[in-house]
Amino acid sequence: MSAGRHLGHGIGLRPPHFAAFLGGPPPVDWVEVVTENFMAPGGRPIAVLEKVRAEIPVALHGVSLAIGSIDPPPEPYLADLVRLVDRIRPAHVSDHLCWGRHRGRYVHDLLPLPYTWEALEHVVSRVQQVQERLGRRLLLENPSAYVAHRESTLAEWEFLAELARRSGCGVLLDVNNVYVSSRNLGLDPIAYLDGIPPASVGYVHLAGHADRGTHLLDTHDAAVPPAVWALHRHALRRFGPVPTLVEWDDRIPPLEEVVAESRRAAALEAEADRRIAP
Amino acid sequence: MTLAETQALFHEALTSADPPAPGRLEACFAGTADLPAPDRLAIYASMYAARRVDALRQTFPELAAVLGDERFAALARDYASVHPSSHHDIARLGHALPAFLREHPGPGRPDLGDLAALEWQRQEAFFAAPATAAGRDALARLAPDDFPRARLVLAPAVRLLELEHDPTPLWRALQAGAPPPSPSPGRCAVAIWRNGFEVVHARLPDAEAEALRRAAAGSTLGEVCEAFAVGAEPARAAYDALSSWVAEGWVAAVGTDASR
Repeated sequence: MSAGRHLGHGIGLRPPHFAAFLGGPPPVDWVEVVTENFMAPGGRPIAVLEKVRAEIPVALHGVSLAIGSIDPPPEPYLADLVRLVDRIRPAHVSDHLCWGRHRGRYVHDLLPLPYTWEALEHVVSRVQQVQERLGRRLLLENPSAYVAHRESTLAEWEFLAELARRSGCGVLLDVNNVYVSSRNLGLDPIAYLDGIPPASVGYVHLAGHADRGTHLLDTHDAAVPPAVWALHRHALRRFGPVPTLVEWDDRIPPLEEVVAESRRAAALEAEADRRIAP
Repeated sequence: MTLAETQALFHEALTSADPPAPGRLEACFAGTADLPAPDRLAIYASMYAARRVDALRQTFPELAAVLGDERFAALARDYASVHPSSHHDIARLGHALPAFLREHPGPGRPDLGDLAALEWQRQEAFFAAPATAAGRDALARLAPDDFPRARLVLAPAVRLLELEHDPTPLWRALQAGAPPPSPSPGRCAVAIWRNGFEVVHARLPDAEAEALRRAAAGSTLGEVCEAFAVGAEPARAAYDALSSWVAEGWVAAVGTDASR
């Protein structure tokens, strides 16, 4: 499995659950937050995060780095990110393998890149710049995609593996995104997982999606579906014990329901461990 | 195509009112018989639009309540088409919506620009840097000779908003879930601040608004207190206002030239 200690099994910390986290001991091993929602200098979110951070590890998961954009990451964004990383001392800092900024304008989406050698060189150089600025390793998550570029000459997993090898970044492996993109683009999800170097995986995302008929939409508004759990079983066989993080961002249910998903991830890992043990 | 050209085409497909011809998209992006490339890009384009409407609704929930879903979504789309997001936090998208609404007021509701300004500043106050409030005796501890020359340092969350309509009746109705009353024209000043994590606002009397304006601009306490000279019992009015500012946590520090 990945380098570093096993964080255990966590959930995305979202505002509807702030009060529950403040009112008692954390119900999970660790949490992840959306970086940009905590960059403001004050207010309730950052105060809650500092309290939670005093008790359990926190990962910062960004959505605005847009590492593959031709536009370089704006200096004010990097400065805010460095400040937050210094303040929270997160277990991981991550964003997405995507682009999303064009001539100073943000799309606020995680748009797929063409998987070409040109794009690879571009992203490697950007990752190195950001890692130097942060003074630490960045994890990049495989995005969910609805369209592919005709120009791509590498599979997404080949691109990620080569990116990790060249830049030293890690992979935040989103198993739900592997499933969604595979269904939408006609990829083989098992080949995808088998193409990711185990040592590069920092942790795994699990989430739900919606079936729109012609495509699957990465909605994060439901429980992890059986097909994604099944794919995660394969991930466990390939990667061994690995930290997991359940994301639930829309139609957010009571905390217990999200925590139950995280416990299920822990149970699956224990079950996989027993099978592997002699 | 270079990476730059690919991104320019993708961006055009998401944001342009006149999207690229299907042939151009099909040459660059792969589709299938049941979901051709232009339809796949349309998935991104619809999320692009919806995300902006949702972000603005989060910042301006009361404005959305007055307008209703459909009219608010139309306003949000019109606004976002001329004010694309240039900040990494999508919550900042609405920074120019108050001015946009004042330039393009809807029929019968010239007060909505002011309502939007109030909601925007409430969001700004929510995320403002925290400050430890000066103690209740901060002013009392000043030596009498230092008092007129001292200056207040206000908490970053404190803001003064100058409006063309009194937002109070509209705000109260919205909080109570009642139908919006008619606009209340007339200049007024509203203070916004944070009590713990809760954002609050209140209309200020003219003299107190002028005093707060002076304090925010770094005027001395002597100049701040002179703002109350226009009314009856100016000393009493100044004392009451300054006491309430300290009690509400508006004052982070009281500085004298000697303490600089």
